[in-house]
Amino acid sequence: MVLELQKPRPIWQIMFSTHHTDVGLLYLILSIGFLFLGGALALIIRAELFLPGAQIIGDAMTFNRIFTVHGTTLIFLFILPFASSVGNYFVPIMIRYKDMAYPKLNALAFWMIPPGGALIWLGFADFSWYANPPYSIISAPGPAADMWIFGLKILGISSVLGAINFIVTILKCKHPDMSIGQVPLLAWSFLSSSLIILVAIPTFAAALLMLLTDRLGVTGFFNPAMGGDPIAYAHLFWFTFHPEVYVLVIPAIGMMYEIIPRFSRKPIHSYNSGIFAFVLLSIVGFSSWAHHMYATGMSFTEKTVFMVGTLAAVPASALHVFNFVATMWNGRIKFSTPMMWAVGGIALFFSAGAGGVANAAMPLDFTTHDTYWVVGHFHLFVMGTIAFGSFGFMYYMYPYVTGRMYNEALGKIHFIMSFIGTILVFFTQHVLGLYGMPRRVFDYPPIPEWIAMNQIASIGAMIIGVSMVIFLANIIHSAGKGKLADTDDPFGVGGKYYYPFEARNPSH
Amino acid sequence: MKSIIGLFLVLAVLVIVPAVDLAFAAGDEPGEYLDRRVIIWNLFFRMMTIAFVVGAVVSGTIIWQVWRFRESHPKAKPTPYEGTDW
Repeated sequence: MVLELQKPRPIWQIMFSTHHTDVGLLYLILSIGFLFLGGALALIIRAELFLPGAQIIGDAMTFNRIFTVHGTTLIFLFILPFASSVGNYFVPIMIRYKDMAYPKLNALAFWMIPPGGALIWLGFADFSWYANPPYSIISAPGPAADMWIFGLKILGISSVLGAINFIVTILKCKHPDMSIGQVPLLAWSFLSSSLIILVAIPTFAAALLMLLTDRLGVTGFFNPAMGGDPIAYAHLFWFTFHPEVYVLVIPAIGMMYEIIPRFSRKPIHSYNSGIFAFVLLSIVGFSSWAHHMYATGMSFTEKTVFMVGTLAAVPASALHVFNFVATMWNGRIKFSTPMMWAVGGIALFFSAGAGGVANAAMPLDFTTHDTYWVVGHFHLFVMGTIAFGSFGFMYYMYPYVTGRMYNEALGKIHFIMSFIGTILVFFTQHVLGLYGMPRRVFDYPPIPEWIAMNQIASIGAMIIGVSMVIFLANIIHSAGKGKLADTDDPFGVGGKYYYPFEARNPSH
Repeated sequence: MKSIIGLFLVLAVLVIVPAVDLAFAAGDEPGEYLDRRVIIWNLFFRMMTIAFVVGAVVSGTIIWQVWRFRESHPKAKPTPYEGTDW
């Protein structure tokens, strides 16, 4: 796509193109836009919690609306579209095919996201990204809640269409000379996550329909007053969204598999163990959903099964980390910005995983349930691992997308500030949870420890916010004024890049 | 890497399966419920010990290798793959 900025075209030609790099560019721009929108909401939340009592948000419901849209935006409108952007750019190149298998379906999957995002943002629902029943079916104000449901429905269909496209592209369109055992690990990560999407998302699609009909008063699936069971929704939701965690994390690990060997100047240590770990994660991702519901009165036997099922993800995750460590061993590592993000992401991945082991154990889970520990754990994964891998890859693909180099010093400042900020916010939130502060609260009692830790977390969030402004300024300024990239080896580390210089935007 | 996978499988068999088996073998009579809880706690502590020992070793290794294998280290030398189309 070097081509785009060096040979500018009218914007509508890109918007209505079905070529994979054009659709990838659209995904990229959309995801960065929503990153800043969702991030701004996070800063508002942290500013509000800087001190007890109402600060800048007038009431609890507005606070609920903000954290609902914050979570929904960053998961569905930043992380997933960014992964799709990377997949669109790189998967066809890696499997040596001219485009995605279904280019028009690909463009359609992208163009379903803006209306889905608009419904979520214009509605501004207040029932958390989990859409808590029975509140969501009895009291959540409409039309915000209904708009959220329709928005998620559209985004879910978009995800399924994208997943079908990736699976068919990888399995059926790869070059005849290339066996499935030779497909690069980044493409394998998209195959694994797409298979998870296909199995997991339909359950949530059904749950959303049931939620909607419950809200309309036609049914009472989750309404206790009509004999329904809100816990049934929890099972349906988490059957989709625990595996969805792996849908988010697997492509990020795939991105690290592209970055770490490149900057270590060595091939990946064990390709087969990478595939094995992806497949294993995809399977065990479905054996752990009920660990979110230990506190709902499940039997001891059920809890034991899901505790062991959750812990089964540990060896698979560890295999990836061992693979990265072995790859860096005896390398000659160049710490350019993408590599710093990738290594930082691995370090935080380990910390988040350790918190996950504690969460998975039911006795400890009862202590940490619905406290800020959970917020810290989840965000350490999403920000510390997934977003770090994604930012690393944004810098990695930057010369390919723009034909220019970003400012390396600013990229490193972005990383260092984000790393410090992430530790300040999310490690502190773990401790805050152990001190008993519940999550999803607008106000809290003036306990000195709670105030101090909230302030540390808020300062950390502001540091991340400033680093993101630096990032934005860097990518915008460098796109026009940056040094021209050496498109054969933009990072000066050698090896064979999957940069599609030969893809000259054939028109469809 | 195959040996590492093998090691994990052996650990899983040795640590997890007997403990879970014991937990399921226990009946539902009063008193035995407490036994199962103890067994699960015991399993948890063993796994946490393993997880944190491995975690500490791996984290320390990452920190060391980031320092040792950086390209500006005095002992850094080209990898066998440099200059090739690997």
